[in-house]
Amino acid sequence: MSSLPAPSSLTISTTTPDDEALLAAIRAGDERALSRLYRQHWPMVSHFILQNSGSDDDAQDVYQEGVRVFYEKVRDGSLELSCQIKTYLYAVCRRIWLKRLTNKSRFGVRLLDEEDYQALPQTGAEDDLQAAEEQERRFELMNQALQRLGEPCRSLLEGFYLLEKSMQELTDDFGYTNADNAKTQKYKCLLRLKKLFFNEYNN
Amino acid sequence: MSDQYAQFEAYARGELAPPARTALAAALAANPALALEYAEFLELTDTLRAAGQRRATRRTLRGLHAAMRSEAAVAAAITAPNPAASETLRRDVDALARPEAQPLLRISGTEKRLRRLWSGYRATVGVAASVAVLAVFATLLGLEWWRAAKTAPALAGYQAMRREINTLKRNQKALSRSISQLDPAAAPALPVNNGKFSGTGFALTADGYLVTSYHVIQGADSLLIEGRDRQRFHAETVYSDVAHDLAILRIKDRHFAGFGRLPYTFKSGEADLGERVYTLGYPREDVVYGEGALSARSGFEGDTAFYQVSIPVNPGNSGGPLLDERGNLIGVVSGRQNDVQGAGFATKSSYLVRLVDSLDSAQPVAPYHLPRANQLAGTGRSQQLKKLQDYVFVVKVFE
Repeated sequence: MSSLPAPSSLTISTTTPDDEALLAAIRAGDERALSRLYRQHWPMVSHFILQNSGSDDDAQDVYQEGVRVFYEKVRDGSLELSCQIKTYLYAVCRRIWLKRLTNKSRFGVRLLDEEDYQALPQTGAEDDLQAAEEQERRFELMNQALQRLGEPCRSLLEGFYLLEKSMQELTDDFGYTNADNAKTQKYKCLLRLKKLFFNEYNN
Repeated sequence: MSDQYAQFEAYARGELAPPARTALAAALAANPALALEYAEFLELTDTLRAAGQRRATRRTLRGLHAAMRSEAAVAAAITAPNPAASETLRRDVDALARPEAQPLLRISGTEKRLRRLWSGYRATVGVAASVAVLAVFATLLGLEWWRAAKTAPALAGYQAMRREINTLKRNQKALSRSISQLDPAAAPALPVNNGKFSGTGFALTADGYLVTSYHVIQGADSLLIEGRDRQRFHAETVYSDVAHDLAILRIKDRHFAGFGRLPYTFKSGEADLGERVYTLGYPREDVVYGEGALSARSGFEGDTAFYQVSIPVNPGNSGGPLLDERGNLIGVVSGRQNDVQGAGFATKSSYLVRLVDSLDSAQPVAPYHLPRANQLAGTGRSQQLKKLQDYVFVVKVFE
């Protein structure tokens, strides 16, 4: 099987000026920059997954997860990039796919890599991914707790914290007599959510 | 409790009035239980917000992917030269641009399963196929080597002189002969199986024992003896001596009446260096005479069971008789050395005589009566050959 395109650019190096500009734009919340980044590296990851017995859907899944990890780190400002964005994304996606394959397969998995794979362990992708997975577990628990909370508490909390609606809007939406009433209701809901969430979380 | 949460939230957002804020800060510092409550509150709301953010990010990325896909499809539609095709493509693009875009290709369930199988096990299949191919070739090569090692004596430079018959050429000859006859009444020529190898053999006793080289009959299923007058007999191996390259055959045909008196005798001693010797053999269809001298009293690599003779021997000469000028049989032609000019080898007749003696003492089916009177001594070479040639045969080997 052939190797991936443009393997020469995957050598480890500090971020390029182009990367820096892109990172700054994404950090500032520029959606077009994210879109450009997304398009730029999709062929590489897609090719990698297809080479390693994945489908197009798998490629999309893995790539989105990889970009999400990257994006969240950038937005947090906690990303310490010691290599090109391309290398980092490759490392993250490779890690994700390896994990999925290992779960799926009874045998050991060997991935077909590009020549310069030696550079990958230094990208910090492993740790970032682990942190993201830990977070994912917490979010999963939170979602379960929200599900069990039931209506209207769930919509109320989601409206306030997730969709960031104002208290007045929520009062109108849910038909409370006044904003204070809605607030009291919200805190009650939050208390119940806290019990549900920490019960699960601490177990 | 809900009041406390209202306070926490205002404090976290920095919306609390200064006196209340300092009071709460002091309370948090003084009361660990309260501090824990506050920490839990923060964690809860942070997690809630982060979960919301992650959902939003997911949505954004999905949107990006769909947009990228549809753009690629539009680009393809623009480059497509056929207007009808581009029209359908544009429709497809519209379908793609919708959030729940379905794949363009319509694939049957079976094909989808097959595709998934193929993409999943492609590597495994490749490895299995190459292993299979390797195994096949290794087996073939191994078999060939094994056969070569089995049939050829493991002596470099030594070549045993049995002849491999080119059946194809002979069949072709027979075919062209039958065509040239152009006789419609002629019965179609049956394909003659001429055997795979051939060598020479000669009579040992008058009542049907013959001698040839062991390597001539090695691996034989059946043996056919053919004389100068084209008379054929079936023969069986009575004894074979691998070390001295000798084999004793016996004709098993019922109508076989015997060879008649043999004109030569077997010499039980050793012949002298420099004696003029000759042989008759069948390196081709006709009997061929070869003449030379006894050039050494040991054979290949000093093997004392053999003579070296300066007779040109060729494939098919193996098993032929080696006689001296007085018509004594002194050896059985066996092979030649490849890298030496004119070095043929023949088993010494003393070994043959000793072998026959030991066989005779072991109560054989028919006793061995070695000829005692020599009719060749004192006659000219051509007279000797005339008498001799009736007792020299082609040994054809079928595997």
